[in-house]
Amino acid sequence: MIVTAQKPLDEIFDSISPYHKVLIAGCDGCTQPPRGLREAETLKQLLELAGRKKGKDFEFKVTSVVKQCDSVLTTSALKPQVDGIEAVLSLACGIGPQMVAELFPDLIVLPAQNTHFLGEEDREGGKIEARCIGCGDCILTMMGGVCPHTRCAKGLLNGACGGARNGKCEMDPEKDCAWELIFERLEKQGKLDNIKEFRPPRNYQVKAWRLVP
Amino acid sequence: MTEAVTEERLAVKLDEEHCSRCSICRSLCPYDAITKEAETGKIILNIEKCQVCGICYSACPSVAIDTIYYDRGSLLNYLEKAKQKYNSQTLVIMCKGSAPDFAEVEKLFGVSNFIPLSLPCVGRISDEIFMTALEMGIGKIYVLACDEDYCRFHRGSPIAGRRILALNLMLGQLGYGKEAITLKRSSLKVKVDKDLCIACGNCVFYCPYHAPRLESEKGVSVDLDACKGCGLCVVMCPAFALELEHWERERISALIPRLLSEMKPPKLLVFRCQWAFFPPLDGKSSPNIGVIDLPCAARVDAIHILDAFQKGAESVLVAACAEEDCKQEKAGGKAQRLVAKLNERLSQIGFQDRLHFCSVAPRYHDGFDKQLQEFSQRIKELSKGEKK
Repeated sequence: MIVTAQKPLDEIFDSISPYHKVLIAGCDGCTQPPRGLREAETLKQLLELAGRKKGKDFEFKVTSVVKQCDSVLTTSALKPQVDGIEAVLSLACGIGPQMVAELFPDLIVLPAQNTHFLGEEDREGGKIEARCIGCGDCILTMMGGVCPHTRCAKGLLNGACGGARNGKCEMDPEKDCAWELIFERLEKQGKLDNIKEFRPPRNYQVKAWRLVP
Repeated sequence: MTEAVTEERLAVKLDEEHCSRCSICRSLCPYDAITKEAETGKIILNIEKCQVCGICYSACPSVAIDTIYYDRGSLLNYLEKAKQKYNSQTLVIMCKGSAPDFAEVEKLFGVSNFIPLSLPCVGRISDEIFMTALEMGIGKIYVLACDEDYCRFHRGSPIAGRRILALNLMLGQLGYGKEAITLKRSSLKVKVDKDLCIACGNCVFYCPYHAPRLESEKGVSVDLDACKGCGLCVVMCPAFALELEHWERERISALIPRLLSEMKPPKLLVFRCQWAFFPPLDGKSSPNIGVIDLPCAARVDAIHILDAFQKGAESVLVAACAEEDCKQEKAGGKAQRLVAKLNERLSQIGFQDRLHFCSVAPRYHDGFDKQLQEFSQRIKELSKGEKK
């Protein structure tokens, strides 16, 4: 999932305050927690309360799109809603506001989220952790299923650094040392030889900015 | 509890003089709150463990246990007054657990004008109450219990079933007709609107009873036998695709402005778990306070709290059971976290100290009033400070 966190409410408030008719557009897609209709409705209520306090009156409309990264779905969901709207406040990840901006060039588009990373959720512990940085050159086969790009604080490809204490990273004692995890898993799989193989620095040229499927 | 607990505050009392030390209560108590002193054989009630389920009260052959919530005097007093107020000879006794609205009662029993009596558990009402009610001129009694495996306490519904069966046989012989008391069962369940479901899986994860299933992108389906009707999934659903029967979002939303319009400022709206406090039948309320009882603290919804602020509430209090007292799965803690999260957002827009959480338990019958007093005091001080 794409992990986002909502921007501070005063920042959102400031960004929408030049406008009166605002459409709050949720996204049911892959963000976690899903920023769908409930989030949109909650944000509307909070912004209205804030507006009352600051003497600013908004006219909100609330909707949600199945996936804001899909041009067809976004067009069909938003087209009937944008009549008279000055600004769209998007609850999607960074892709959503850009998609809306492209599809509706006359509208002001504002993000309500800060997009952080691709991650997995440990719901029991209430934590969401980064798992992928989208490097375009996946080496998980060699690494026993643990990504050192993402999970090693130093991004080492030839670890470990030697700084770990009791399996925890020296940069953040809450965090597992990625290289110890890699070692344990490869040992269980009988593939410890993988670790000996030298890996050159990450090839940034591979990172494509446009893919044709 | 740090303060000394006075005898008057207790909702359940054991009268040593009448106690025959038969130990039936001890063997029935589901919470190990009753013990027997080894040397003397004295029966001892540990109120801190007691969940006020009433099973000891309803089973004691010596009438040595009394709980304030089924007190004969106040029940009969209520009936006497309610007979006039509702101008009806039909009594409908409802268990809090199945928590129906009156329209639903009408649908179930086909009666429109009736005396409503909502009790924590219908399985605890003594035969005497039924018989005295009939004597008082009530012609027909309907009882709405929870489904058998749904009891928030312990076996209340099966006990009610057996008791009413026996009572009806006896009443039949006494000439009250074949079925003086009619029993029906019901329970709260969740409903899915598949058109709204976005198949995100939140409900699957959060449900403590593994009732929702997500097997395809067509949306979630709920195993209604497993659903215990706490409403947590409803609050966690990001798409408003789930609703709890009789406690629909719109229905609670409609209650908020209605209550607030009848209140005087400063208005305090309380969202209360109905298991955290059992209001007295003749309870009088303050004009500043409105209460919305919810089926469980898990149904406390940020949308409704914000709604209350929007519609003119100065402050909102969420009252729930403590985690260890929860009749569901630690819902009190979940509500507390929801309040904390919402408070963080509210403080970003300058709404500090308006929303509070407290936990109460019906074992002290004035527990909620005490919390309310404390909170009202704080609010008063706060508003004084603001005016300065």
